[in-house]
Amino acid sequence: MSSGSQELKDTSVASSKWLDAHYDPVANLYTFSSCIALSDLHGDGENKLVVGDLGTGVCNMKLKVYRGTGLLSESTLLDLPTGLVSFLMDLHEPRTPAIAVASGPFIYVYKNLRPYFKFTLPSLEVNPLEQDVWSQAKEDMIDPMTLKEMLEGLRDKAEIPLSVRSLRFLMLEPQEMENFVLLHKEQPIRRQTVITCIGTLKKNMADEDAVSCLVIGTENGDVYILDPEAFTILYKMSLPSTPTLMDVTGQFDVEFRITVACRNGNIYILRRDSPKPKYCIELSSHPVALVRMGKNVVVGCTHETLHGYTQKGKKLWTAYLPAPVTTMALMDLPTRGFQAVLVGLANCEVHMYRDKNLVSSIKTPDVVTSICFGRYGREDGTLIMTTKGGGLIVKILKRTAVFDDRDSAPGPPIAQSIRLNVPKKTKLYVDQTLRERENAVAMHRAFQMDLSRLRLAAARAYVKALESSLTPMSASLTEPLKMNAVVQGLGPSFKLTLNIQNTAACRPVMNLAISFLYDENLYSMRTAFFKIPLLVPGLNYPIDTFVECLSDKGISDIIKVFVLREGKSAPLLTAHINMPVSEGLALN
Amino acid sequence: MSRFFCALLHTYIDAFLLSAAPDLPILERRNWLIHLHYIRKDYETCKAIIKEQLHETQGMCEYAVYVQALIMRLEGKIQQSLELFQSCAILNPKSSDNLKQVARSLFLLGKHKAAIEVYNEAARLNQKDWEISHNLGVCYIYTKDFKSAEEQLNLALQLNKHDLTYMMLGKIHLLQGDTEKAIDVYKSAVEFSPENTELLTTLGLLYMQLGKYQKAFEHLGNSLTYDPNNFKAILAAGSMMQTHGDYDVAMNKYRVAAYSVPESPPLWNNIGMCFFGKKKYVAAISCLKRANYLSPFDWKILYNLGLVHLTMQQYASAFLLLQIYPSDLRLLLFTLTNLDDADNGRRSHEQAVLLDESNPLVNLNFAVFLYNQGDKKAALLQLQEMERKVNAQVENNSNTDFDPELVEMAQKLGTALQAGENLYWSKLGKDSKTSQRSSSSKPSSSQQPLGTNQALGQAMSSAAGYSKSMQITAEPEADVSSAPSPPTVTPGEPEDEDEETAEPQKVARLAFSMRF
Repeated sequence: MSSGSQELKDTSVASSKWLDAHYDPVANLYTFSSCIALSDLHGDGENKLVVGDLGTGVCNMKLKVYRGTGLLSESTLLDLPTGLVSFLMDLHEPRTPAIAVASGPFIYVYKNLRPYFKFTLPSLEVNPLEQDVWSQAKEDMIDPMTLKEMLEGLRDKAEIPLSVRSLRFLMLEPQEMENFVLLHKEQPIRRQTVITCIGTLKKNMADEDAVSCLVIGTENGDVYILDPEAFTILYKMSLPSTPTLMDVTGQFDVEFRITVACRNGNIYILRRDSPKPKYCIELSSHPVALVRMGKNVVVGCTHETLHGYTQKGKKLWTAYLPAPVTTMALMDLPTRGFQAVLVGLANCEVHMYRDKNLVSSIKTPDVVTSICFGRYGREDGTLIMTTKGGGLIVKILKRTAVFDDRDSAPGPPIAQSIRLNVPKKTKLYVDQTLRERENAVAMHRAFQMDLSRLRLAAARAYVKALESSLTPMSASLTEPLKMNAVVQGLGPSFKLTLNIQNTAACRPVMNLAISFLYDENLYSMRTAFFKIPLLVPGLNYPIDTFVECLSDKGISDIIKVFVLREGKSAPLLTAHINMPVSEGLALN
Repeated sequence: MSRFFCALLHTYIDAFLLSAAPDLPILERRNWLIHLHYIRKDYETCKAIIKEQLHETQGMCEYAVYVQALIMRLEGKIQQSLELFQSCAILNPKSSDNLKQVARSLFLLGKHKAAIEVYNEAARLNQKDWEISHNLGVCYIYTKDFKSAEEQLNLALQLNKHDLTYMMLGKIHLLQGDTEKAIDVYKSAVEFSPENTELLTTLGLLYMQLGKYQKAFEHLGNSLTYDPNNFKAILAAGSMMQTHGDYDVAMNKYRVAAYSVPESPPLWNNIGMCFFGKKKYVAAISCLKRANYLSPFDWKILYNLGLVHLTMQQYASAFLLLQIYPSDLRLLLFTLTNLDDADNGRRSHEQAVLLDESNPLVNLNFAVFLYNQGDKKAALLQLQEMERKVNAQVENNSNTDFDPELVEMAQKLGTALQAGENLYWSKLGKDSKTSQRSSSSKPSSSQQPLGTNQALGQAMSSAAGYSKSMQITAEPEADVSSAPSPPTVTPGEPEDEDEETAEPQKVARLAFSMRF
């Protein structure tokens, strides 16, 4: 109990570490941690919250800017935002950062919240054979059906995948093909990919307000570093799989390190001097979120675990979480020299970890889908979260809040102090025990006696049954028979089916008859006696007959079936059929 | 949402017909969103997005189909997921991922041979994938091809070390009955990931099977440090504490286990024996009865329950419990002697003689019993039988180190039956004289039954208190080796039995000497 109350106190202390600045449960935000940034957009020393909102997931995508508790501006996005970063692109005064929104194959750069530049990913190499085929189609050298066949051949063999146009063409119905070719043949073939993640990398200075390059990962597994001013590609690297999460550190001109979590469940670490990944971490489950803390990488996995790795991919620790991870973010307080990882969990909690130690936890009214920690307005330690239901939560860290590193070993579990539920014994039990102690021999003898009697009685009954052929299995060697009976119907008429089988190896059985014995006040049978045909060994002979129940009082009785041999008074077999109660009423 | 999408699609189609050069949407444009929802386990939203995406691309978006299949598999629709993965493999025959998933679904459907074929095909596309090697190994285990399985798992370990692979490799060795090798595997596994409690517990249990209790305790202790709620480790460590008579600490551990797994028969058996060790017999009976209720056919529980009843001098109940599974006939015999039940006694003795081929003690006990019944002829026969066994033992392994009490009793019985001088014991006569003298000073040579039951009960309890905890530990071991657990199959069993029967032997013999 004592540890339970201590836990209670702990959570109340933890909640008091934060001031609830703002909570809007109907802010209507559908976004992820990658689409949230805090930025001093106007250069006035006041940080705004920039959110790339996915709208309904199909339409209504918005770029929203919050200031304080209110919405400052809202502009429409053309497609779903994949990622959003704020970065300084030049040295002009005033130093106002630009916002880059990645969506589809484009990056839209906003300055002063106005569209400034649109970057398009370079198109991918197109299969020369495919190009050939289409140019033939353009000159009407081949008809659509041939085109289709050739493209299908290409799809199955070629190293380079087909372009969207060819794939779309292959999906079409034959009658639509003509139009499609006419419409598209004039256009050059392009093959495009989409951006899956975005990050920033300082160009040549480590300062807070240094110019940064954009780093983007694409669907086909490439990573590009873009020049901040001219938006040309400075560097290109490739990965074995599609990147999903990205963390960038260092400076482009000096040395940098890009940690990328990929869709195949691996994490790759890219360095400045090699276009291929330098290190690889193979995880046992998919990474959900990735955060760099100092020199280590912290990964939250789908198996409800949190792993810590070094920069070179060596595993440091594992922490087990109470629920699946939804998102993670770094909590960095340079003024206090405090760093921790905030982990949003599916059980409506946000846990704060330093290495593998749980430092504190926050309860939230809904599942958190994105977390952002940093300077908002003029407040340094602000925690911004959005929830699954679209809510926006803003919390401010109290200046007095202290996070002490508790030891990870939690001491004995609470369960240890819970009393065992040992069943109690009654006075009666104790009395009986005493009685047994005194009279053990007598009790044992009585028991043995009764046991012997029981065995004797059972044996007698068995012998009797065998002698008078009361069993449904015939014991005689000349007529080994087996019988079972099935009663069908609800009443008052029942159908009685007797299944008779000759279990002998090869000898048939002849001259058998069946008769029934029943209470004539209760039941009537059309034929209470009939002969059985010759029984071939192994076959099952179903014999049907009908029984009429005469009583409407809801009573039932036993019908006895005898299998008889001609010229012998004792039956070979006997079956007792427990008749069901008649549920219907006789008509007459 | 999807209705909205249809509208959108129509505008696309309209755009097709009107404008000259419409931009075709990229097939993969929603892949990131699908993945994001999938890894966050938000399957409902994920399925909605997949549905739209597949509608838009008319089923050509490989990744959408792939994730849909993964979700279906999670929902238990394995056959459907297999079909989807197969269509993925058609869309992109070059991807080993698709083949891997096809194989995985086949594996889950129990078609191990087909799975092996597909994995081999995937391995051709991607040579260096530990997952393929690992899964191939697991498939081979199920097809009972342990050699190939071992090969593949070792290959997987070379490519990349994973705890799971170590577990499987250890399991193969256990299935082949090679505990030493299994221990080696688990040792290297623990070195690789020192905080994996499952590995630590398994290693501890294996050491326990081999009787290396110090090492076993070390690993179990480590496991409990990292996860104080580990049920298997608690049970194993607790039983070891019980062995050392540390009942209170063991109880503390069991309380944790009882909280998480309240309906475990071995746990309640152990708790019961803890109470027994602390001489709280009523509580012991309560707990054992609960254990028996939870697992009515576990002979160990019945045996323990019989033992406690015996200690409580409830001989009639003890007899009923012990006779259900007469694992140790000596206890049953002792009970019957107390119940004055000559018929059952003789039958049990005969059974014991049949079951035990080598132990001369059984025959001696029978001889003494028969003598007490007044059947001197049969007693003499048994004595000669014992003689034969002793001589065989002397010839075979020169194990002449017999218990002096046994020697003394045999001699006394020999003289009483006038068996003659050709007995082995007469040759030993001079050596054993000292012990004879010491025991002859005791007034136990009379033919009247002597000694109170109380003293016996105490002897029993001390013997049992020591021995019982050994029986219990075999329980989690059986789980580890995943043998279909009849108690005689578990590898650690025979050894435990020896340990445990050593004491009751003495007790049973004591009982007869009193009556002699």
